[in-house]
Amino acid sequence: MPDQVNLAVDLGRGLRLRSPVLVASGTFGYGFDAPQVDRGALGAIVTKGTTLRAREGNPPARIAETASGMLNAIGLQNPGVDEVAGVYAPVWRSWDLPVIVNVAGDSVEEYVAVVGRLEGVAGIAGIELNISCPNVALGMQFGVNARLAGELTRAVRSATTLPLMVKLTPNVTDIVAIASAVEEGGADCISAINTYVGMAFDVRRRRPVLDRGSGGLSGPAIKPLALQAVWQVASAVHIPVVGIGGITTPADALEFLLAGAVAVQLGTVNYVQPQAAREIHDGIAGYLRDHRVPDVRSVSIRPINVVSHV
Amino acid sequence: MSAVGLAQPTVVERSTPMAGAIELVLDHPQAARTATPGQFFQLAVSAPRTLLRRPYSLAWADPARGRIGFIFNVVGAGSAWLASRHEGHLMDVLGPLGRGFEIEASGRPAVCIAGGLGVAVFPALVQALRAAGRPVLFLQGARTASQLLPAARLDGADVLVSTDDGSAGLTGPVTRLLASAPLNDADFYVCGPTPMMSAVIDLAERREVPLARIQVALETPMGCGVGTCLGCAAPRRGGGYLLTCHDGPCVRADRIDWRRMEDAMHA
Repeated sequence: MPDQVNLAVDLGRGLRLRSPVLVASGTFGYGFDAPQVDRGALGAIVTKGTTLRAREGNPPARIAETASGMLNAIGLQNPGVDEVAGVYAPVWRSWDLPVIVNVAGDSVEEYVAVVGRLEGVAGIAGIELNISCPNVALGMQFGVNARLAGELTRAVRSATTLPLMVKLTPNVTDIVAIASAVEEGGADCISAINTYVGMAFDVRRRRPVLDRGSGGLSGPAIKPLALQAVWQVASAVHIPVVGIGGITTPADALEFLLAGAVAVQLGTVNYVQPQAAREIHDGIAGYLRDHRVPDVRSVSIRPINVVSHV
Repeated sequence: MSAVGLAQPTVVERSTPMAGAIELVLDHPQAARTATPGQFFQLAVSAPRTLLRRPYSLAWADPARGRIGFIFNVVGAGSAWLASRHEGHLMDVLGPLGRGFEIEASGRPAVCIAGGLGVAVFPALVQALRAAGRPVLFLQGARTASQLLPAARLDGADVLVSTDDGSAGLTGPVTRLLASAPLNDADFYVCGPTPMMSAVIDLAERREVPLARIQVALETPMGCGVGTCLGCAAPRRGGGYLLTCHDGPCVRADRIDWRRMEDAMHA
């Protein structure tokens, strides 16, 4: 067994990453902040959700800590796709770290327009389709309906040549139906899951803590729920699954790999322990070495149904 | 230092600077050299069920001894955990972060206005203002006399106090002290609960003090502290939001929409 282990993963359509550790949308901006996070440990950055026009986001309070978790209702505050394509992407071009742009919208037309604006722009490695934002008026309509999710994926698929990851919401009765629909619609890979809708109340002020009322729950509190969703999805689809949900330690990440994910995204932990990406990267490498597992994909405790990507 | 701004300094002193407050002193030479008044640190806590780091403004820095101080009160599980740290405990600290106060060297007076625990940001600022040659008038308000930071901690400032219960100084809110302050030609530095800061702004507007001459240290809920989570939005005058961690915490008062700020933090 060589000392070097293979941490590289292939998420489809040429999206080959040196590390299975990514940072999740909304927890890393556009890659320009949080210098505490070791870029060398990352396989890719997934950006903040990006819409056609700039959005101001929701009024405060936007976040609330809960037991081993946090609620957020940021409301897709972002500078709009023109800024991303025109100002950020030229900088990303010089990075040795792939940047995947998370794309959000209110309509098929908006998604297609955003993706169209990113087409052919150097410095963008892929698209993550956000069909699951719980914090804007129409954000989640696509993610909770298999037919709409499939149609949106198909429309976006035909509007871009970039690798396409679709991020699923867990706020559904049958996540497998949604996963299968986006696979059929042409997704190259799936990221699962986005936040769970939740609430917290301020008992002194007698009102919800978040101005918007509800928000998305993230952090260690949701990890068992996310693992079950990933297990279900990975069993059902034939494309790679990227696991997300409350990962804070190498063991957490390995649980997602066991459940069938080929890579993971770190979210809330980036706010708390900026060194987590490095620790998790090294922890996965150590596990592969110690258990004589040849590569990340082989960690799964059952065969992954992926057909081609090796 | 394992990465930019991350450190594991040791607690070298714990004390009670005034009733209801805790002061922790950390041995952190690098931060003591680089942190400026008004900047903040994200302190990790390990209390059961908590998750996020807790943001605290630098209270003071002593570069010669390599020490920094924080003054805070217990408001929940995180601050209770921090308050139970003692000499010898290792901390997990990220910072200094954010923008501190702008301090111009001149002979013009500086008026500091502190409400409640907002006073925690001022020892470092008063020292820097004095070093810049500014005469400092310090207006401090608290609920009661025992909760006032002793004037000795604000060395070189002329300190006036007010208390809600009249146990020291003027009876009433700290804004009442402003009536006797020289407003012309002064720069103002304000930190306290949002309603108190908003009241200061109201008064300043009525007295035709340009808001650009007032700097405030914002306090909002905060997540990451480094500009990525977008959780610490503060309503910006003219629309949209500033981020407390990235654009602040110290900003000029004319950048904030105070009506929306009060709605958000106080409704």
